[in-house]
Amino acid sequence: MRLVAAQLVESRQILPGQWLQSFHAPELATGSRAGQFVHVRTGDYSGLVLRRPFSINTADPATGTVTLHFRTVGRGTEWLTRLREGETLDMLGPLGRPFEVDPRSRNLLLIAGGLGMAGVRMLADEAVRDGRQVTILFGALDASHVYPSSLLPDEVEYVVATDDGSLGHRGYVTELLPEYEAWADQAFACGPQPMLARLARLAAGRRERLGVAKLGRKRGGGKTDPAGSVAARRKAFLQVSMEQTMGCAVGACLGCAVMGVDGPLRVCREGPVFAADEIAWEPVS
Amino acid sequence: MKAKKKVVTSGDVRITAYKPTARTKRRETVRAIKSAIVPITPVSPAAQRARIETGGAAVADLGTTPVGRPTLAERAALDRIDVSVDLAPARGLRLPNPIMVASGTFGYGVEYGEVVDVQKLGGICCKGTTLRPRIGNPPPRVTETPGGMLNSIGLQNPGVAAVIEKYGPIWQGWDVPVIVNVAGESIDDYVEVVRRLDGLPGVAGIELNISCPNVGKGGLQFAIDRDAARSVTAAVRRATELPLLVKLSPNVADVRPIAKAIEDAGADAICAINTLSGLAVSPDRTRAFLGNTFGGLSGPAIKPVALRVVYEVAQVVSIPIIGIGGVTSLDDVLDFMACGAVAVQIGTAIFADPELPVHLADELRSECLRRGLESYRPLVGTALPKRAGAPSVKGVEYRP
Repeated sequence: MRLVAAQLVESRQILPGQWLQSFHAPELATGSRAGQFVHVRTGDYSGLVLRRPFSINTADPATGTVTLHFRTVGRGTEWLTRLREGETLDMLGPLGRPFEVDPRSRNLLLIAGGLGMAGVRMLADEAVRDGRQVTILFGALDASHVYPSSLLPDEVEYVVATDDGSLGHRGYVTELLPEYEAWADQAFACGPQPMLARLARLAAGRRERLGVAKLGRKRGGGKTDPAGSVAARRKAFLQVSMEQTMGCAVGACLGCAVMGVDGPLRVCREGPVFAADEIAWEPVS
Repeated sequence: MKAKKKVVTSGDVRITAYKPTARTKRRETVRAIKSAIVPITPVSPAAQRARIETGGAAVADLGTTPVGRPTLAERAALDRIDVSVDLAPARGLRLPNPIMVASGTFGYGVEYGEVVDVQKLGGICCKGTTLRPRIGNPPPRVTETPGGMLNSIGLQNPGVAAVIEKYGPIWQGWDVPVIVNVAGESIDDYVEVVRRLDGLPGVAGIELNISCPNVGKGGLQFAIDRDAARSVTAAVRRATELPLLVKLSPNVADVRPIAKAIEDAGADAICAINTLSGLAVSPDRTRAFLGNTFGGLSGPAIKPVALRVVYEVAQVVSIPIIGIGGVTSLDDVLDFMACGAVAVQIGTAIFADPELPVHLADELRSECLRRGLESYRPLVGTALPKRAGAPSVKGVEYRP
C-alpha cells in the first residue's frame, strides 16, 4: 500500500456510461493481484471529500500500466472522464485482499454482473497465465451493455446472459450456473448484491447436489481453517468481491463494513474478496 | 585542423554547409547531452500536492508555504520554532505539534502506518473505545455529502481489554502521544474503562466521547445536558490522573454552560466539535441511505459551525481548546487558532490525503518563520472579542 501518482495514458468509453482508463503506475502494475483495488482521489474539490475505490481491472507489469473500468455515477466519476492524457491521479493502493485460487484448480468459473466485470477481469488474465481454463459468465441489462469480448483474453470462454434476451441467454446470469458448476473447480463472482446472494445460495447446495461431499478432492475435509484465512478461502468453491461505500480504505474508519456471519467485516481490509460463506447474505426474494 | 566549409549555391542564397570533423562532432554530442539535462527545480510538497489535486495543471502557490526545499539555515530556523503545546499543563500532555488526528478517522494509529509517518503527528486520538465489544451499526455506514460526509459507525470496537492487549504495547514504543477516546452507556462504564487505561504506559490521555450521535444509549445524552456532562466528567476525573479531554457536541442549543460545567468538573481540555446529526436519502428515495438512518456530518461543511462553537467556548473557559471540524488546509488551522483553539484535529480530510496532518505541521512552522514568530502562540485567539460577545443562540428573542 502506498500513494502513487498515476499518469493517464488512455481513456475511452467502452460502453454507454462505462469507461476504461489506463494509467502508467509501475508500482501498482507489478505489486497488485486480481481482486485488489485502488482508492483514487478526485481532483474536483467542489465538495468532494472522499476518495473513490475502484477494482484494478487489469495490470500489465511489462508496460507498467493498470486499467480501471468504471461507470459514471456521480460527480467524482464524471470528473475522471474529463481527465486528459498525461495528467496524474493520486492513487492509494494496492488495497484489500485478492482472490485466492487453489493451486489444484484447473477450471475457473468467473461470474460477473454488469460492472462486476471490473472486479473479476484481472483474474482471467492471471488464470490464463497460469494455464487454467477460464469461463466467464456475464450478465447485463441488454446487448448494448455487454462487455466487449475483444477486451478479454482469447483463451477464455465467454457466455453472455441479458435480461431482455437481446444477446445470449435470456434471463439472469445466475441461471447459467447449474450448467457449469460441475465443470468448475472454483467460482469467483462480482456484481450486484442480489446476484451474489443468489450465487452464494446455489454454491452452498452444490456439494450435496453433485454428491462430491466426501469423494474425490477433499475440499474442506479434515481440519478446518479459521474463517477468512487464506487457506479457508482457497478451499471455498465460491469467492465474491463485495462493494460498499468507503471512507479510508485502510481499515481505520470501519465505514465500509458488510455483515458477516461472525459480525461486521471491513470490505477494505478483510475484503473486498470474501469466501461466500463468510457473508451473512440477505434473503433472496 | 579547421572544419572544412563547403559553399553550396542555391539560386541567389548562399548556404554554408557545415562538415564536422570527428573532434567537433564529439564536442557537439557533449553539448547536446548537456543541453538535454534540465535542471531539477525543487517543488514544495504543498505545490506537488496542489498539482495532483488540479490534475496536473500548474497552480500558483498561495504564499503560505515556501517553494523549494529549505536551505540548511532555513531548516535550522524552522527547528528553532516551537510548535509544541501542552494540553494539560497541570498533568502534562505535551504534543510535539498542535496537529492531531481525530478519533474514528485514524483507527488505532497502525492502519495508516505504511503511508504515514505517525511519529510526526502531534497526537493520535484512537477509535472510540467502550467497556464491552460493540459490533456497530448496520451498513451502509458512510456516504459523501456536499462538502462533507455522513458516518454512522456506531462505535464498533473490540472493547477496552482487547484494545489494551493489542495496541498497548505498540503505543508504548511510540513517541507520539496516543489519546484514547472513551465512550460508554453509563457513568460507571466510562469510569471502568478509564480505570483500566489509567497508568498504562503508552496511553498519554483520555478523550471523553460524550457526544457520539450514532448510538442509541450513552452517546449524546451526556453532552446535551449540563448536569450530566458535569457528573460524567467529575466521575472520570476522580478515577484517573491521566490528562482528560472532553469532546463537545454541536447538537445543542447553547454550548457555553456545558463547556463551563465540564471545565468546573476538572477536565484538562475541551475538544470541539463532534459531528452534527444528519441524514441522507437512498438513491431510489424509498428510505434513508445509512443503515442507522441518521449519521454524523463531518468535513469542510461543518467548519463554520465548529468555529462558532470554539469561538463561544473560548470566551467562557480558560482551559485549552482543541478545534475539530473541516480542517483541510493551513488556513483552516489558523482560523481555528484565531478563534481560540491551541490545537486542531484533522478527521475527514485524512481520507483524501493521509499525509495532510504531517504536512500541516510543517506548514505551520513555515508560517511562523514567515511571520517572524518563535512560536504559534501569538496566533491563538486573535479573532476573539475584547469583551464577551453576544451568544449565537439568543433564546427567547427567536421564539414566535
